[in-house]
Amino acid sequence: MNEAMNNILNSRVPDGPLSEKWQNCKNEMKLVAPNNKRKYDIIVVGTGLAGASAAASLAEMGYNVKAFCYQDSARRAHSIAAQGGINAAKNYPNDGDSVYRLFYDTIKGGDFRARESNVYRLAEVSNNIIDQCVAQGVPFAREYGGLLANRTFGGAQVSRTFYCRGQTGQQLLLGAYSGLMRQVAAGKVQMYSRHEMLDLVVVDGVARGIVCRNMVSGEIETYAAHAVLLCTGGYGNVFYLSTNAKGCNVTAAWRCYKRGAYFANPCYTQIHPTCIPVKGDYQSKLTLMSESLRNDGRVWVPKDVNDSRLPSQIPEDDRDYYLERRYPAFGNMVPRDVASRAAKERCDAGYGVGDSGKAVYLDFKRAIEEQGEQRIREKYGNLFHMYQKITDENPYHVPMRIYPAVHYTMGGLWVDYHLQSTVPGLYVLGEANFSDHGANRLGASALMQGLADGYFVVPYTIGHHLATANLKPVSTAHPQFAAVKEDVENRVRKLLSGKGDRTVQEFHRDLGEIMWNQCGMARSQVGLESAIEKIQELRDQFWNRVYVPGVGEELNQQLEQAGRLADFLEFGELMARDALERNESCGGHFREEYQTEEGEALRDDANYAHVAAWEYTGNDSTAVRHTEPLTYDTVKMTTRSYK
Amino acid sequence: MISPGKKKLKLTIRVWRQKGSNERGQFRDYLLQGISPDMSFLEMLDILNEQLLDHGEEPVAFDHDCREGICGACGVMINGQAHGPDNETTTCQLHMRRFQDGDTIVIEPWRASAFPVLRDLIVDRSPLDRIMQAGGYVSVNTGQAPDGNCLPVPRHDQESAMDGAACIGCGACVAACKNASAMLFTSAKVSQLAQLPQGQPERAQRVLNMVAQMDAEGFGSCTNTYECEAACPAGVSISHIARLNREYVKASFCSTAEPTIPMK
Amino acid sequence: MHWLKAFLTSSVGRKFVVGLTGLFLCFFLVVHLAGNLLLYVGVDAYNEYAHKLHSNEELLIIAETLLFAALIGHILIAAGLTFTNWRNARNKSYRTFDSKREDRTTPMSFAPDQTMMLTGLFVLIFLICHLSDFKFGLGWENLGESYSPAQKALLVLENTWRQGIYLVGVLFLGYHVSHGLQSAFQSLGLNHPKYMPTIRRLSVLFGLVVAIGFGSFPIAGLVRSQTNPTSVEQVSPVEGGEAVDAETPHSPEH
Repeated sequence: MNEAMNNILNSRVPDGPLSEKWQNCKNEMKLVAPNNKRKYDIIVVGTGLAGASAAASLAEMGYNVKAFCYQDSARRAHSIAAQGGINAAKNYPNDGDSVYRLFYDTIKGGDFRARESNVYRLAEVSNNIIDQCVAQGVPFAREYGGLLANRTFGGAQVSRTFYCRGQTGQQLLLGAYSGLMRQVAAGKVQMYSRHEMLDLVVVDGVARGIVCRNMVSGEIETYAAHAVLLCTGGYGNVFYLSTNAKGCNVTAAWRCYKRGAYFANPCYTQIHPTCIPVKGDYQSKLTLMSESLRNDGRVWVPKDVNDSRLPSQIPEDDRDYYLERRYPAFGNMVPRDVASRAAKERCDAGYGVGDSGKAVYLDFKRAIEEQGEQRIREKYGNLFHMYQKITDENPYHVPMRIYPAVHYTMGGLWVDYHLQSTVPGLYVLGEANFSDHGANRLGASALMQGLADGYFVVPYTIGHHLATANLKPVSTAHPQFAAVKEDVENRVRKLLSGKGDRTVQEFHRDLGEIMWNQCGMARSQVGLESAIEKIQELRDQFWNRVYVPGVGEELNQQLEQAGRLADFLEFGELMARDALERNESCGGHFREEYQTEEGEALRDDANYAHVAAWEYTGNDSTAVRHTEPLTYDTVKMTTRSYK
Repeated sequence: MISPGKKKLKLTIRVWRQKGSNERGQFRDYLLQGISPDMSFLEMLDILNEQLLDHGEEPVAFDHDCREGICGACGVMINGQAHGPDNETTTCQLHMRRFQDGDTIVIEPWRASAFPVLRDLIVDRSPLDRIMQAGGYVSVNTGQAPDGNCLPVPRHDQESAMDGAACIGCGACVAACKNASAMLFTSAKVSQLAQLPQGQPERAQRVLNMVAQMDAEGFGSCTNTYECEAACPAGVSISHIARLNREYVKASFCSTAEPTIPMK
Repeated sequence: MHWLKAFLTSSVGRKFVVGLTGLFLCFFLVVHLAGNLLLYVGVDAYNEYAHKLHSNEELLIIAETLLFAALIGHILIAAGLTFTNWRNARNKSYRTFDSKREDRTTPMSFAPDQTMMLTGLFVLIFLICHLSDFKFGLGWENLGESYSPAQKALLVLENTWRQGIYLVGVLFLGYHVSHGLQSAFQSLGLNHPKYMPTIRRLSVLFGLVVAIGFGSFPIAGLVRSQTNPTSVEQVSPVEGGEAVDAETPHSPEH
């Protein structure tokens, strides 16, 4: 639909062969001279891998950076929770890896729904990321000879994942954070923690500032700059239960969407296969265990639907190692979407284990027999410890029980090759954009993308914008700032005026239930249509019946959550709408109507090899869908097969 | 284990309520019923807050985010123990099965002069950020790095550095220390970078400045009672403090570096 | 001397000095105890040791100066640190506090590491008394020069008040050093998985040795005062090896 409007989405992909595009782009971009850089102010929202790395890099270059995060410290962004590792095409293990292979695996993993040029660039700079992080003192795992170690990860047949025990995200983030702190000390970054961005200020069609709420004093504050970088992560919390941090939200991205940035592929969400199953209705959050567990753990369910024996009493012959059975080539290491759907398929067919029947076993018995408990402890000790903490079961003796959970969102604000959104001057990095993972992200690629965007892409591309956009001086005194600030204040007032009978959390849980049941691992037209109706209904209810205590001019966590939920209630509808319009199954998006007889996803390349980018038109229910066709010049689109 | 048969708990929650940093606070008692032993501690607080909202009272403010023990946002004193009774466990990973039916649970914020209470159980931990700003980094600009394998790191050093790097910055060490000392936090970073070749060029300057900043923030001094180590959810050992001490003496007497952070 | 000032005013530097002086004082305790134990060997051995010690005045002055400097430095800096900690660290204390250390054997409020200031204070009081007895002879002026060091020691130790003060004092001392010794190693940065567990055990052992070793003297004094008191006029030489004892009358610091 809207084929005529395609030209709006100019992806600015440079000419030339795939492997030369990024170099060509860098060669042709305009530069800002070193002494002129200090004349430019840049706002960076979010201090995860993308935000912290971008803020630090830009400040090192000489720009004046203002960095914002809602947490009390920049170090707490949710990138910190990534466990498994980060991919790079170093080929240190000498197993035939290359930039091309990393690129190809990522494109294929994304089910051919990502932009070729972006993914290639990602693979290209992946090696620089490892170098940069090592130089910062990130303690990557080492071999006995002192050189960097690698492990394997889902969706790849080479060993290219670098890791720091089970805390890779934490260590990479602390590396970027240390760079950021260094620039704060140098006076080049002004850090605003406990500040939540609530709106974008666009002046003469260019992003020139933001409106924030100081979460301690409650004051609504405005900040002006020459460019705004949005590094605010994903929207997985629209499902209420997800592996995201409780504070993760779509607000910043959604506000930008409402100011003219297109939202791309919102229906692409990743359901991670190895999470701890839900245990009660009080549950506030799901806990993920690294996919690396599947290196040594074997996934199985009983062969007999009615098998109620304890796992230890079920002999090998009565176990169905269904991943190994269905996908002999990749076995337990199939990509996440495939593993998740296979688990759901088994559970839906009645083979699920545990009290709820919504779990499968992840068994380390063989690995422990072969490698010894000590070796397994070294590799996964912290994950086993965490599992035991939560479930009160010892995974060294009893197989873990796992079930898929919402983990990552591939969709996000639409960006061109420069990572600029449809609002000039608004750049979107990391999980907040849509660019690199297509319809499914491979394990250990999120860290790679966040850092690639922040360290090695945006520092170049933003210079081009600053040098060519002919920006006039704008301060917060500009009337547009006052106007947006008033919008925000009105919204806060409206939320606080709600003295109804239901809490924010109750509404969020309801929304999550709708999203998970109708827009989760399996979607259908009927389900999505009813979801849209239900969301609209819930949204109306929310504004009529929500109770938000306290006042705006104080630390008010309920108010924060209410604001975020209000945006999720709008966003959820767009997500369902996007899922409804995409009449195919690809990656994390699985439409029940579109599957093979064996239950594998059925892609429709003829009609849906495109990015869907949604434009806000002033009404929550009438967004316009634009498309950016995806052309593959280098790789051939094939059916993904991990058999 | 999903165990529907487990007995639900009835608890008295004695929690610190304080509206703002300049206001007086006091303890309030709340009765909670039907708490599942499989709940996490923060989920119990969620239930408490829902109950308070039902009664039109303002909910208890507490910091939390990832709820999987890694972000370091959460952390309260539970019956006088930082992050509660379990070792190497954050508040969010503590489960209610650790408590008995009928228990009274006293919940207090981290207390330290350097960590003023912002509201209820939320404190301002920005001094920890400023300690990092004083030197918790390697001065390498983006783009300057050589190949990752240029610098071999003995596996043992890397493992030991990782032990320090595992710090999540939650502030439990400060909270558990009778002097509210931030030595474990500071030493974790000093120790990490002192053991890696990347950290060598700034080794002396780093420790001098980070200690100076730590002192300037008003944290107490270490008197080797090792409560920090026991409270640390990341298992950071006090051997890192010893390394900091060593580094500090070496930097003071054997290098030309001098602290550039103004003394308090 | 900016760097030195920075070192001596920093928390880590001050703690280093406390540790260093503490270790030196511990070393002195060993020497002191060894000297005292000579009383058990015999009065003559003890007297000979005391005289030898005093034969080299210059060395004695240097040693005593060092010792006093260490002692005063140790006390002043530790007290200063403690005072700052009390005043600054926490403007509101916890309603309850409970240790998470699994290796704690004593209740929190009595643990050696929690009571260093208190035990140190008792040791100081004891020390003042001890110094006044042996170094300055206050209250024992009537003994004059005619008494041998061993005789003086025996007389002091047979005094009931002294027995009490000395016993309590050295018990506190033992308690103090049982934490202090290993704490000094930690403050000096000498902590390694290879030897730290041993040091921690040694530290407790050292505390016991100090308490029992020094504590045996007032106890023996008590026994002797009940059975065979030393008279002021006529000092009975102690027989054989089972002599009752005294503290070094003129050992370096007294």
